[in-house]
Amino acid sequence: MVLVGASALALTAACGGDTDESAAGGTVTLEFAQWWEPELPEGSLRALMDEFEEQNPGITVELLSGPYASTKEQVVAGAAAGTMSDVVGLDGAWVNDFSRQGSITSLTDLMAEAGYDDGELASQIQIDGATYMIPVVNFVYPLITNDALLTEAGVDAPPANRTEFADAAQAITDLGDDVSGWALPLSLEAPNGVQNDVMSWVWASGGSMLADGQPDLTNAQVTGAAEYIQQLWDAGVVAPGAFTMKEQDKVEEFTNGRVGMMISSLAHVNTIRESNPDLEFSIAAIPAEDSYDGERGIPYASWGIGVAENSEHKAEAWKLVEFLMSEEVNSELSSLANAFPGNTSSVPDFVADDEMFATAFEIYQSGYPANEFTGLPVAEELMRMFGEEFQRALDGDQSVAEALDAAQQRWLSEF
Amino acid sequence: MSRLNAPPPVTVEAPAPTVPPRGRRRRLRRHLTPYLYLAPTLALMVLLMVVPIIMVVGYSVMDNVITNQNPQPVGLENYVEVVTDPVFHTAVRNTIYFTVVSVAAHLVLGLAFALMLNSGLVSGRIRAVFRMIYVLPWLFTVAIIAVLWRLLLNPNGVINYLLDVAGFIDSKVEWLANPDTALHAITFINIWAGYPFFMVSLLAGLQGIPKNLYEAARVDGAGAAHQFWHVTIPQLKPIIISMVLLDFIWTTQQFALIWMTTGGGPINVTEMLSTFTYKLAFSRYEFSLASASAVVVLALSMILAFFYVRHQKARD
Amino acid sequence: MNQSNTRGSVGRDVTGGSVGRDVTAGSVGRDVITRRGLKRAGVILGLMFGAAFAGFPVVWMALSSVKSNTEIFEFPPRIITENFSFDAYATILTDPVKLRFFFNSYVVGLSVTVLTLILAVFAAYAFSRYDFPLKRLLNVVVISVQALPPITLLIPYFGLMVTLGLYNTYPGLIFTYMVFTLPYAIIMMTGYFNTLPRELDEAVKVDGAGPFSALWRILVPLSVPGLVSVGLYTFMIAWNEFLFALTLTRTQDMRTVPIGIQLLMGQHSYEWNEMLAMSVLGCIPILALFLFFQRYFIGGMTAGAVKI
Repeated sequence: MVLVGASALALTAACGGDTDESAAGGTVTLEFAQWWEPELPEGSLRALMDEFEEQNPGITVELLSGPYASTKEQVVAGAAAGTMSDVVGLDGAWVNDFSRQGSITSLTDLMAEAGYDDGELASQIQIDGATYMIPVVNFVYPLITNDALLTEAGVDAPPANRTEFADAAQAITDLGDDVSGWALPLSLEAPNGVQNDVMSWVWASGGSMLADGQPDLTNAQVTGAAEYIQQLWDAGVVAPGAFTMKEQDKVEEFTNGRVGMMISSLAHVNTIRESNPDLEFSIAAIPAEDSYDGERGIPYASWGIGVAENSEHKAEAWKLVEFLMSEEVNSELSSLANAFPGNTSSVPDFVADDEMFATAFEIYQSGYPANEFTGLPVAEELMRMFGEEFQRALDGDQSVAEALDAAQQRWLSEF
Repeated sequence: MSRLNAPPPVTVEAPAPTVPPRGRRRRLRRHLTPYLYLAPTLALMVLLMVVPIIMVVGYSVMDNVITNQNPQPVGLENYVEVVTDPVFHTAVRNTIYFTVVSVAAHLVLGLAFALMLNSGLVSGRIRAVFRMIYVLPWLFTVAIIAVLWRLLLNPNGVINYLLDVAGFIDSKVEWLANPDTALHAITFINIWAGYPFFMVSLLAGLQGIPKNLYEAARVDGAGAAHQFWHVTIPQLKPIIISMVLLDFIWTTQQFALIWMTTGGGPINVTEMLSTFTYKLAFSRYEFSLASASAVVVLALSMILAFFYVRHQKARD
Repeated sequence: MNQSNTRGSVGRDVTGGSVGRDVTAGSVGRDVITRRGLKRAGVILGLMFGAAFAGFPVVWMALSSVKSNTEIFEFPPRIITENFSFDAYATILTDPVKLRFFFNSYVVGLSVTVLTLILAVFAAYAFSRYDFPLKRLLNVVVISVQALPPITLLIPYFGLMVTLGLYNTYPGLIFTYMVFTLPYAIIMMTGYFNTLPRELDEAVKVDGAGPFSALWRILVPLSVPGLVSVGLYTFMIAWNEFLFALTLTRTQDMRTVPIGIQLLMGQHSYEWNEMLAMSVLGCIPILALFLFFQRYFIGGMTAGAVKI
């Protein structure tokens, strides 16, 4: 028996040959864990890192890439075991939780130590007055409309207010042939539809789901938006499968011409163009309440960045953050990602080259970026709670008012 | 292959006499033998499974670990909170339905397919082809099974199309998104993904049934049904019981399939113990509550395991 | 590998189940033949139905893998695409990173299978053939350790692996999967051993051989179909596992196929055709493995040698 045990060990030991850390003498190796590399054109993030290494002799960067949907588990487990990567890609929905867990460090301190001027940063995500995440690039979510379907339905321009939108959605749905006016992804697995496709209606009319940092879901603006969506639902203009639909499914439905309008990430513009070159579509601001003429909030999602609390190379880690946020690099990264830069003076190439992105940039600049979930505790779970109650309302189990009330109570217990 | 040097045939009619113990050392060795056979397994399991489990049990009686820097013991508070949560009750109900239906269907389908694939009525070559087809669901990682079925069951997917063409439905059924059908739909997917385990194991088990039992039954004039119930089933019983036990435990653990198809929704109709626990841990970061919920599942499974072991004992 | 049948042993019924060959010499009447034909038609019909249930989703996957992303979602769905292309396959097969995923999956899967089988055979022998004071307790432990939701084990387990220095190594993954496969393998092998009469090994012991040779020369050879089915399943568990493969590895050169597939599920959109193509590619070698081993399921291999 001993013999078998020993040979088992020998066999597996022989299998694990190439696990040595690549720590050449005198250099610092930074681990940079993110989900961006697979999202970007092949090799492009590595190329940026090579540039960084060239500028900073003695620092090498090791890119650790994981699937987006599982990044969180990896970061949490890594933080718990004290093996978190030095620099980590973050989503705005996670910041509060990671900072509470003590796994990411205050960037405010690092900026002070490095004597960094944060004037160029478009935004910083702060918890209790200290910055924990810096959005590197931002994906805004405008209204994307299928030109052909709108024309066919007798609508000449993308709808600008809620009434126009409801009419357009109805007209498109009436075309028949499996076409729906609007796609509403409410999956509870990836509940960001609550942020991008539901709350965006509130923000577009200058509303808020919070009051003094506390949940305020029963206010007139949230109620108005939720009731509006229920009307769309009851009118049958929402594409089937909404309760399990995810962002990725929404885009496939749109690309196939089965959905006339969707609120979706600018990152999808190229996806749609590549998959269906014949499809003509436009970008517009998210419709506001009919009487509203103030600035419109436009939802966004960020690729944020943070530094691990347990990192032994915080100063070097900050250098990498600074590099990614510098005007030129940030322009390049946002061009690669089809996103808007986190540095206010950066201008991505596509804004000049591409009319559609130029329009989007205009919408972005004429309104304000709005994402009230960023920085909230257990933000993802808040979306899920809201989504669950909202599904109940749409399914007819309760009224919208009851749903908002229930969601409000559940949110309060998490704050 | 060791069978090549199999021993010369032996007389088995003689009942095996128990060797009389010759001295203490011999008896000690006899007593130690089974432990020696178990030693490598136990070493691995204790180090890599029992230790983490004890840690989880430890977490479950602490005030939120991981997110809390200095957790304090809170006794059974977490258990009370989990067990009194109405969502937990929903999760238990759904898990029971999902598990019982899945395991029963796995067994019935697995047995039916194994018998058909073993049937002497069909030529070996045809059976070989079907065998390959029948193991297909086995070969895919659960993430792919989930996205594949999302694709198939999409309101605009091929299954709705086929049902529409065949005249069974006249509107787009939202199999996974409709609260009335979602639980059945994911159970169906799980049945599809899980039956090959039973089928292959039973196929292997069928090879072990001595032919003379069938011959004896036939001589007694027993028909096919009688042979099935009185020869096949009793002979397969030890394997069937092991499989049912395992499948029961595994199915209650099924997480990725549910999470990646419905995420526990719509509303909470597909909320299971596994998704409930996952959300506690990685969405709300309540690792202590999640641990408590996990330990409850563990305790329930231990009861199941206890009955299995007692059954085995009785069989001996 | 012809088993020279020494003692005119009866051999085993290769047909097994309820539909055994009931044609005995001399009773081959016309009605028997037609009844047999009907039965045969019934079995074939049943097999076809089952095959549609089992195979259709997979066929659809294969068909979709040669479509473009947009065509995959087309309605009404098309069986054959106009823009039929193996691009997705080419992309995967020319990407050294993805090929490495396949290599890793094989190394881990095969090591886990071999080690699990060895350990499980010994453990199952103890459970099946011995009575010892701690038997019940150990049995309960072996069965129920797998009952804790893996997701909750993740964090303590991860810490343990880091402490043991097994993080991001093959042994780390291999030992982890063995912990998950061993209970299954032990329970199933105990089941298979229990179907073999005890008299068989007792007889060998009477001959003066030790318990080890009873195991090695009687039980193992007679359980080959069981071993093969347990081995295949063990391999599948190791091959398809995702959660621990993700958390216990860090660098791309240690990652396995399921993670490679998940990497194609992006934040904004999925590479559907590549995902499906990768799954199809992943299953082909396993199918070949099954093809190779399936002769063990069709009887004959174990029949003979030592038999009652």
